[in-house]
Amino acid sequence: MNFQHHVSSDKLLLSVGGGLFLLTILTAGVHFLHLPQPWSIIVAMIIAVFKAGLVALFFMGLYWDKKFNAMAFIFGILFVALLVGFTLFDTLFRLTPHPAF
Amino acid sequence: MSNHSSTKTQPAHLEHHFVDSEQQFDSAKLGMWIFIATEILFFGGLFAAYIIYRVWYPELFTMASVELNSLWGGVNTVVLIGSSLTVAMAIKSAQLNQKRNIAINLGITITLACIFMVIKYFEWTHKFHLGIFPGKFYVFEGIAHPKANVFFSLYYLMTGLHGIHVLIGIGLMVWLLKRSLNGDFGSEYYTPIEITGLYWHLVDIIWIFLFPLFYLIG
Repeated sequence: MNFQHHVSSDKLLLSVGGGLFLLTILTAGVHFLHLPQPWSIIVAMIIAVFKAGLVALFFMGLYWDKKFNAMAFIFGILFVALLVGFTLFDTLFRLTPHPAF
Repeated sequence: MSNHSSTKTQPAHLEHHFVDSEQQFDSAKLGMWIFIATEILFFGGLFAAYIIYRVWYPELFTMASVELNSLWGGVNTVVLIGSSLTVAMAIKSAQLNQKRNIAINLGITITLACIFMVIKYFEWTHKFHLGIFPGKFYVFEGIAHPKANVFFSLYYLMTGLHGIHVLIGIGLMVWLLKRSLNGDFGSEYYTPIEITGLYWHLVDIIWIFLFPLFYLIG
């Protein structure tokens, strides 16, 4: 056996899983507080990004992995942000915003 | 016949074009991460559509979201997170050469993935029953908004594409389970479990966003 891969302990995996369960309960709990309009989506997305980060770092192992793999992941997200951003430059500023379909 | 270095004992899984197992493992993993980047772009198009329509019709998303059952959405979130945990446990079992635990963890993962799809099936058929179909097939009259079908077109497209990924994941996991029962995987070689695990965690991440974006509005 000559591999040097990171082996996650049961304790770490179970804590990350437990953290994800708690954050799921938290996001549902915040939903039922019915925060005013922009805040409910902002809080929900912050929790979702945090959960996704936990999965990517510890379940997918990016925390211990070669940085190049993390770069591929981050670039995928950046290019989606580019797509969304540039499309919004159009759709946010239309004089007749609602297309018929 | 020759004094070529390959006369050293080669592990059976090692392809001839790799220097060693480590390089083969890292290459497979990099390939998977590139694929995951393309998957993010694939779903990204739909997320872009979601954002644009939500900005155009914020009130529609609040009204239509009521038709989705946030309890079952939440249960599915927990089910999928649980299945991500068991995949991570399967990889850890392989690294520690606990061959029985690989199969047990994969079995639990498959079961959880199937539970997810069964809940999804009941959610969809309930909506079909009410006449909530995507696009021009939409005939439900319970939402007083002329563009109500837009919300559900996005809902069906995004949860549908996600569901297809879950089904493919189940297929891959059944294949892994069969191979692990054959004793193919252990601490020396577990690349297919690692790679499928990465895919499965991505499917989990997508759902982590779909849940609040569709079920928890308003």
